[in-house]
Amino acid sequence: MERMIQLENLSKSFGETEVIRNISFSIEKGEVLSIIGPSGSGKSTMLRIITQLERADDGTLTVDGETLFRSVGGKAEYDRSAERRIGLKTGLVFQSFNLFPHFSVLRNVMEAQRAVLKRSREEAEEKAMALLRKMGLEDRARMYPYQLSGGQQQRVSIARALALDPQILFFDEPTSALDPELTREILHVIRGLAEEKMTMAVVTHEMHFAKAISDNAIFMDKGVIVEEGTSLFSDPTEERTRQFLSSFEGDD
Amino acid sequence: MASLIMQMLEGTVTSLRIFFLTLIFSLPLGFVVAKGKMTAIRPVRWLTDLYIQIMRGTPLILQLIFFYFAPFYLFGVSYDRFTACIVAFVVNYSAYFAEIYRSGLQSIDRGQHEAAKVLGFTRPYTFFHIILPQVIKKIMPSLGNEVITLVKDTALAQTIGVAELFRVAQTASSREFSTVPIFIAGIFYFVMNYIVSRIFSVAERKLGYYR
Ligand SMILES: Nc1ncnc2c1ncn2[C@@H]1O[C@H](COP(=O)(O)OP(=O)(O)OP(=O)(O)O)[C@@H](O)[C@H]1O
Ligand SMILES: [Mg+2]
Repeated sequence: MERMIQLENLSKSFGETEVIRNISFSIEKGEVLSIIGPSGSGKSTMLRIITQLERADDGTLTVDGETLFRSVGGKAEYDRSAERRIGLKTGLVFQSFNLFPHFSVLRNVMEAQRAVLKRSREEAEEKAMALLRKMGLEDRARMYPYQLSGGQQQRVSIARALALDPQILFFDEPTSALDPELTREILHVIRGLAEEKMTMAVVTHEMHFAKAISDNAIFMDKGVIVEEGTSLFSDPTEERTRQFLSSFEGDD
Repeated sequence: MASLIMQMLEGTVTSLRIFFLTLIFSLPLGFVVAKGKMTAIRPVRWLTDLYIQIMRGTPLILQLIFFYFAPFYLFGVSYDRFTACIVAFVVNYSAYFAEIYRSGLQSIDRGQHEAAKVLGFTRPYTFFHIILPQVIKKIMPSLGNEVITLVKDTALAQTIGVAELFRVAQTASSREFSTVPIFIAGIFYFVMNYIVSRIFSVAERKLGYYR
């Protein structure tokens, strides 16, 4: 298997607080990784470093064979020339959708294709419509985000990310702003992507879902990976993992 | 009567010149000031803040007098009243517009910037196509208020002898021992502001296609 993400010894602090401590993991192509852990454990920060919304302090990250930053003398040294190229390989879906409210649904999915990838209007529109169709939102193309339900907005934001043909898609609690019914909607979409062998890393609190779709899993706490592997769902070896999972028992 | 109206129309032209020149300069300058107030460079932020505090904390009428007389007392140079008046208005209104822009910029969710960044938009593209349109919509009501205030504030230009509408009306009023010119001036201001507020409500309606 080929490696999509190789992260080694990542560290990150905000001021005095060390949020990520020496984390390493990798994601193979076509694999789905789920990331679980209590609030404040550093899950979002990790995704935000890989998607370049935050800067790493130390560590080495290689995405699809290209190195974004490398640990040199205890500091992460970024390869400026690779930043943009790697950025285009990674997509991120936010908890709060972050659609552009002043653009129609169609334009939300077309805009970056046009402005960033310089695709023609026809090509961008065709791609956008195909993705919206896939998301079951064909008839919403001309509407504005405020006219859609949360679940529909999240599906648009997934289409928007997919429109740029990312090599890997990250999800940061994509269903946390949604009620159970809409959550199912989104989980269904992610499951579909997993079946198509889209490489993904998903931060989620939906344990059954995570267990069902994951090829690999990590449990984080206080900035470190406590346990790794899908067996952590059914047969956790660490006490901390057990405690965390038991707080979800009875959940669906 | 006809000559009175002619004089008042001339005064109105002067008022409108003050109005438009102030907007042309202070609308963009306000953005620069807003950037200064939001910068991470502390001395710049501190100075910008002081400037805004002074502009908001002292009467415009005083600022007019200052900008007209200060160059003479400080450097021995003087310039014409109209220029002084425009300088004062621009310096004052840039500060007010800056505060409006800043509140607009800060009201935009951080997620908008982050989504744009992750999608690969450049910073200028993000500003002009993603952020600015949303800011404009948000600040429309307060911008409208400020522009209406500007129409009325042009009357202060008379303090340094600029023959704008209100000054013409007052002069005519004392010459003819009648308050009629003052009332006519009032109608003129009202009409100007009626037009301004219509323009703003059309703009707000046009921007109302999204929330
Ligand atoms: N920009 C920031 N400045 C300072 N501290 C931050 C910043 N972003 C995150 N933190 C802190 O870093 C820690 C990890 O935050 P992070 O958001 O990565 O956790 P998380 O695992 O995603 O939690 P949650 O499940 O609540 O989303 C928290 O203590 C948080 O307060
Ligand atoms: Mg988080």
